[in-house]
Amino acid sequence: MNRKYRVMIIDDEESARRLMRAAIKWDLMNMEVVGEAASGIEAINIIDELRPDIAFVDISMPFMDGIEFTETATERYPNLVIIIMTAIDKFEYARKCVSLPVFDYMLKPMVREEIEQVLEKVKKKLDAEPDYWETVKKEADIVPESFYASTDTDQIIKYLEENFTDSKLNLASLAQHFGFSASYLSRKFKADTGKKFIEYLTDLRMKKAVKIAESGVKMYRAAAEVGIPDPNYFSRCFKKYTGVSYSDYVAGKVG
Amino acid sequence: MGKVFGFLKIYREKEREDSLSASLKRVILGIALIAAAAFLLALYVVIQKERIEYTKRESESVLKTLSNNIFSEIKNYTEISRIIMTEDRLVNFLRADGVAVDIGMINDARYGIMDILNVKEGVDCVMVFREDMIMVATNRFTYKYDYERMNNEEWRKDIYEGKGKAVVSLHSNGIAEKLDNKPMVTIGRAVYDIDSQQRTGLMLMNISTIVFDRILGKLGYGDICIMGKDGSFLSGNRDYMQFFDEKFFSEKIYSIDTVFDKEKVLVSGCGVSDLPIVIIKVSPYDKEGIPFRMVYVLLGLLIVFFVLAFYVGWFIRKNITDPVFELSESMESNRQLGELKKIDLNMRYSELDMLKGDYNNMIDHVNELIATLIEKEKVLQKSEMRVLQEQIKPHFLYNSLETIGFLAMDAGADKVHDALETLGRFYRNFLSKGGREIPLSREVMIVQDYLALQKLRYGDIISDEYDIDPATENCIVPKLILQPLVENSIYHGIRLKGEEGTIRVSSKMVDGKLNITVRDTGVGMSRQQIDMILSAETDSEVSQSDSFGLWGTIQRVRIYTGKRDVVTIDSEVGEYTEVTFVL
Repeated sequence: MNRKYRVMIIDDEESARRLMRAAIKWDLMNMEVVGEAASGIEAINIIDELRPDIAFVDISMPFMDGIEFTETATERYPNLVIIIMTAIDKFEYARKCVSLPVFDYMLKPMVREEIEQVLEKVKKKLDAEPDYWETVKKEADIVPESFYASTDTDQIIKYLEENFTDSKLNLASLAQHFGFSASYLSRKFKADTGKKFIEYLTDLRMKKAVKIAESGVKMYRAAAEVGIPDPNYFSRCFKKYTGVSYSDYVAGKVG
Repeated sequence: MGKVFGFLKIYREKEREDSLSASLKRVILGIALIAAAAFLLALYVVIQKERIEYTKRESESVLKTLSNNIFSEIKNYTEISRIIMTEDRLVNFLRADGVAVDIGMINDARYGIMDILNVKEGVDCVMVFREDMIMVATNRFTYKYDYERMNNEEWRKDIYEGKGKAVVSLHSNGIAEKLDNKPMVTIGRAVYDIDSQQRTGLMLMNISTIVFDRILGKLGYGDICIMGKDGSFLSGNRDYMQFFDEKFFSEKIYSIDTVFDKEKVLVSGCGVSDLPIVIIKVSPYDKEGIPFRMVYVLLGLLIVFFVLAFYVGWFIRKNITDPVFELSESMESNRQLGELKKIDLNMRYSELDMLKGDYNNMIDHVNELIATLIEKEKVLQKSEMRVLQEQIKPHFLYNSLETIGFLAMDAGADKVHDALETLGRFYRNFLSKGGREIPLSREVMIVQDYLALQKLRYGDIISDEYDIDPATENCIVPKLILQPLVENSIYHGIRLKGEEGTIRVSSKMVDGKLNITVRDTGVGMSRQQIDMILSAETDSEVSQSDSFGLWGTIQRVRIYTGKRDVVTIDSEVGEYTEVTFVL
């Protein structure tokens, strides 16, 4: 069971993410940082792709703070090890959420020694458990495809088109909604549509965003309307989809 | 302090001099004194007046009685004289022709008179003169006769004018004198013949003053003097003769106040009917005149008044001034305790109860005001704290530290990153909210971070050692008690010395108490400095240069523990300083 543990860092401070990535000797701990998110929104969107075992979550983030993210994540990924990071002025706030199955709380500014101590504990816990993501995948494999045939991909797409403005919508929540395993849904979705689920969802949102952009609406409002209320993440998605920034797009269209 | 309290006490007592109860005491005492004086004065006046009145009345009654007695006694003798006039042998003597009168006839007449006189004592002598002045006398030889006067008509004139009625005079009308010069009261009468109604002679009857002596003796009067209107003494107290005066001649009683035998006396006197007799009485104003019943009534009234006055005083004191004092003392003790408590006293009178109620209401109000004030102050402090915390903005600080940390790491300056990390942790612990108490281990961590950072600056001269007993690590201590001591060790110990020094932080349990010691090998402290820091009460006594941080920390620990002897400072100048807290 000597697999590498996958770590995700969710913090709105880029330097904090980068410092964490750089300061800890992840290799020595047999871990790797598989991704970062600058907000809860972004994290929700990419977590299915990243499949992390451990998530460092900053409490104070815009659009969706650490608490809300943790609530959502623990519901969808019960095995995810969540470590809350908080500065002292938010500590009392974080403690209010002590009912959440959070692995540990850490005070900012982070101290390497302390992080390494916590990670050692996490490792012990994870070593004693099977790989969650692999288990999910295997479960999906042994379920005969015919069993799910009753649910058409068209139905899923219809559901997506109706619900894509829900900012918390992601693979895991969709799978839960239809009663599939996330892994199965992912494969089935790609097989049927030729696109990854997250790509399909993002494209759906961007199509709508482009329409909104044509009416000259401000980006932050467009972002909220299409279900990505984090304008920074929205902006990246938009540029990736259209090749130009939202403001340029608006300027080009209107102008 | 004692002096101040003493002064306050005196001030308070002085205040009481002018108090209601004191003036009340004075007023009641004054009233009592005035009443007593008025009583005595009234008593004196009444007694004096009563004594005079009494004595006067007494004198009058005595004089009247005496006067009546004398008058009736004289009347008796007048009767006798009438009887004598009709005695046969005397009538014969008077009727006989001049030549027929012989010695035998005279003697018969004498015997006749004497027979009648036997009936009553007191007649000294009876003299009867015929018209031709042949006389018969019962007591012939004890008198000396003044024949010359006898032959004169003068002495008989009054008697003749009386036409047979008795005319009272003195001393035989001057025609005869008792050999021993004894005074006599004389009853004179013109004698008329029963048949012819012709005047046949004249009779004089001398009555001895023994008669008066007997009357006085019988009545028991010792303070009387009976005198003739001519000033001669008749009977009684001869010493009173000096008071003889014509004013006493009238039948109406006349009185004068005078002094006799160095004693104030009342002298009263009057004439006895139309007799030529004056009676004088001298009465001392003695105690018999005092109207004791009236005195007792007055005295009783005075006592009643006194009792009433003292009762009123007592009543006011008991029901007004004492409760007011109690109330005042209660308020005063409240003030001295510095607490604003309600008074819980039982007041019997509604006015005082009202006062108490008002006071308590005021206390309530004041307490409310204070509570409001404190609440306001708290809110203010909280908001100020918030402002301060906002100013500190730890979030900003930490994010900056992390950013700079990453930059340093990125540039390969790992030491800078290390230092920033230490600084970050130091401030994280240093600024941590929530509770003024932390475990000793965390306090030590703060010191370690602090010294790690300070060593970056003074690494060449400072080294640190730690000897923390594991049993003490979880002991709860007031936050930031070690860091200021260590800071003090650096700035007031080691740096001043200019050579390498060691700061040693140690902790252990001694007799169940946590001992925390910070020892530095700096310049040390003088006994004076140590005493000053241990005894200073206000921060103004400790100047910045004199280890203000150390003093402040000691004060904080004292307040935290509520005890003064929580710290010892041991030092040798030039060698070391050792500060130990015992918690």
